[in-house]
Amino acid sequence: MNNSLWTVLGFTVRNKLRSKAFIILTVILAVLLVVVGNLPYLIDKLGGGDKATKVGYAEGQQPAIVQGLKDYYAHLPEPAVELIAVKGSEQQLKDALEKGDISGYLAFDEPSEIPAGYFPKATYSSKSAFSGGTSSSLTAALQKIKTDKIIKDAGMTEEQKRQLSTPVSLATQKVSFSNEKGKTEEEQGMAIGLTYVMIILLFMSVMISGQLIATEITAEKSSRVMEIIVTSVSPLKQMWGKILGTFIVAMLQLVILVGALVINLLSPQNKDSLDKLGIDLSSIDPTLVVYAIGFYLAGFFLYATLFAAVGSIVSRTEDLGQAVLPITMLTLVGFYVAMFGLTHPDHILIQVCQYVPFFAPFLMFLRIGLSEPAWWEIVLSVGILFVSILAIGWLSAKIYRVGVLMYGKRPSVKEIVKAMRAYKV
Amino acid sequence: MKALQVERIIKNFGDKTAVNGLSFEVSQGEIYGLLGANGAGKTTTMRMILGLILPDEGDIRYAGKAYSNEQLSMLGYLPEERGMYPKIKVSDQIIYLAQLRGMSRKDADQNLKRWLDKFQVPEYYNKKVEELSKGNQQKIQFIAAVIHNPRVLILDEAFSGLDPVNVELLKSTVKELRDGGTSIVFSTHRMEHVEELCRNITIMHKSNPVLQGPIKEIKKKFPQERVVVASEGDISGLENVAGVVNVLRHEHGGYELKVDDPQAGQRILQHALAQGPIKRFEVLEPTLNEIFIKTVGENHE
Repeated sequence: MNNSLWTVLGFTVRNKLRSKAFIILTVILAVLLVVVGNLPYLIDKLGGGDKATKVGYAEGQQPAIVQGLKDYYAHLPEPAVELIAVKGSEQQLKDALEKGDISGYLAFDEPSEIPAGYFPKATYSSKSAFSGGTSSSLTAALQKIKTDKIIKDAGMTEEQKRQLSTPVSLATQKVSFSNEKGKTEEEQGMAIGLTYVMIILLFMSVMISGQLIATEITAEKSSRVMEIIVTSVSPLKQMWGKILGTFIVAMLQLVILVGALVINLLSPQNKDSLDKLGIDLSSIDPTLVVYAIGFYLAGFFLYATLFAAVGSIVSRTEDLGQAVLPITMLTLVGFYVAMFGLTHPDHILIQVCQYVPFFAPFLMFLRIGLSEPAWWEIVLSVGILFVSILAIGWLSAKIYRVGVLMYGKRPSVKEIVKAMRAYKV
Repeated sequence: MKALQVERIIKNFGDKTAVNGLSFEVSQGEIYGLLGANGAGKTTTMRMILGLILPDEGDIRYAGKAYSNEQLSMLGYLPEERGMYPKIKVSDQIIYLAQLRGMSRKDADQNLKRWLDKFQVPEYYNKKVEELSKGNQQKIQFIAAVIHNPRVLILDEAFSGLDPVNVELLKSTVKELRDGGTSIVFSTHRMEHVEELCRNITIMHKSNPVLQGPIKEIKKKFPQERVVVASEGDISGLENVAGVVNVLRHEHGGYELKVDDPQAGQRILQHALAQGPIKRFEVLEPTLNEIFIKTVGENHE
């Protein structure tokens, strides 16, 4: 009678794939990801064609500094600022700004008495207060001019000046005890990226699929189809058919979405942009991918069985949100602890929480990706996780068995235990 | 070999006894009536027959065999609370349910088309359930219960919410199934359906079977205590005839009398004949309705 498991599974998959909501959601997400996948290219294209911001200045004000600015921007390959001279005072500058001839203007204060080594205060005025790019560019330029001025006054040689402006070099490297060579910075970056992506994917999958499973079971219960189904097929098979069916659909969706993203990222027009950002998909550690898949599966099934159990004890879809809240909180806590762990992978909190089965899929993977957990830590965490999945799966099946026949108000834990005894499961 | 044997089943939920020592047998091609007030234990009994709950004590046998997964495919169930997947096509869900009962996709499809034709609604094949009226949903639900040709069929309030035409249609279908050899456990509050369909019944009250046996025998146990008499004109003095407890005059002529003595009928007839020609005279059998109310009502403290 293993046929019935496949029947439930097939039915679940078919109906999911046919539902309009699912198709629309997948298409929208895929389109979004195609856009995201081409973002590096698009930014490059759009950013490259960006015109320099026109910054006006009053002719004759601080000519030395203005000349310095002009020289500074003239040396840049893609100047972000173009300086425009405007005759007259600040009022004319304002008019020019209003007309749109310039995007903003620079004004310098001119105190009557000039102390030694004084560098005038500059004010950049523009229509929008948020002109971060231009103002920071101007700040850098003015800083440079000021430095040059002081250096010149101090009488340093060109050689000394050059040495001063050479940036210090600091390379970070992670020490690995299992591999012979440590991970390079690039590999490390990719590991952080992959961990981040994996945590988000797991979180989203668990939330979306878990809710789906719970909703579907409750809907079956509230529409009373359940009464016929439980008399045709054992609840255990029905529950697993549903979980596996939803899993296949979730996988399919994931493959489509990740596929859309990766194909676009790998397409030739994005290659240069990706290189510039230092992203190299081929530098992903394959063992990390294996761990990612493993922990993803574990996390998925752990939470899916929990959602199924909760779905089975609720009689009405309206009550479901409240009932799944504890599980939702659990995933949220796991997610946020993991977000914290991205920057502190060896924090004591992470080291403790990695053994909690509900957090392990997030945290153990994070530690494997970003840190160097000892082998026994991995084994212990995975072991606890695995045992928990079996235990929770078993318990959920029992709850499911009695839950599907309990109608009325949401039963308390005591009532469920009582019912389990009464139904002899 | 009886198709379904229920022997002294007892079921407790905590301290509450839901079913207490119920036994009955259903032969092949028989409709068995399971009656009782709300909360009497009918649904629990049906759930035990369906194997959803195990009885604490006692035994249920299907054609002599104990409950097992193989028995599942020969059971059909129409629950009291109707429900189907609202957003899924009729064909998809009926075939799904039939497959769960162990049918092949092809057979299920054929059977479904046959049943839809029989109910004269072949166009529902591709419709979603939510598009159908309540009565038609019920027809679909009925098909779901019988599509796999079950040997034992459990119908809980099969005809509730249907118009008289559809009640007749389903009733004749149930009779056909019975004639085809299906054993049916039938539960309803409509006593006229029980009188029409069932050979044997059990009336349950507060978890206990209080009245069991063939309807004929049960009726014999209850005294005939109603007499109907009618003539062209009025009949006077009926209330003074010995044994008459109560006289009720019907709107359209005729009198209905309650008596406490079987011999009173003859005295009433003579009394009426003395006053002129009689159009109608009948000593009525107790209806199942009366028996039910009497049995269940008397036990109400």
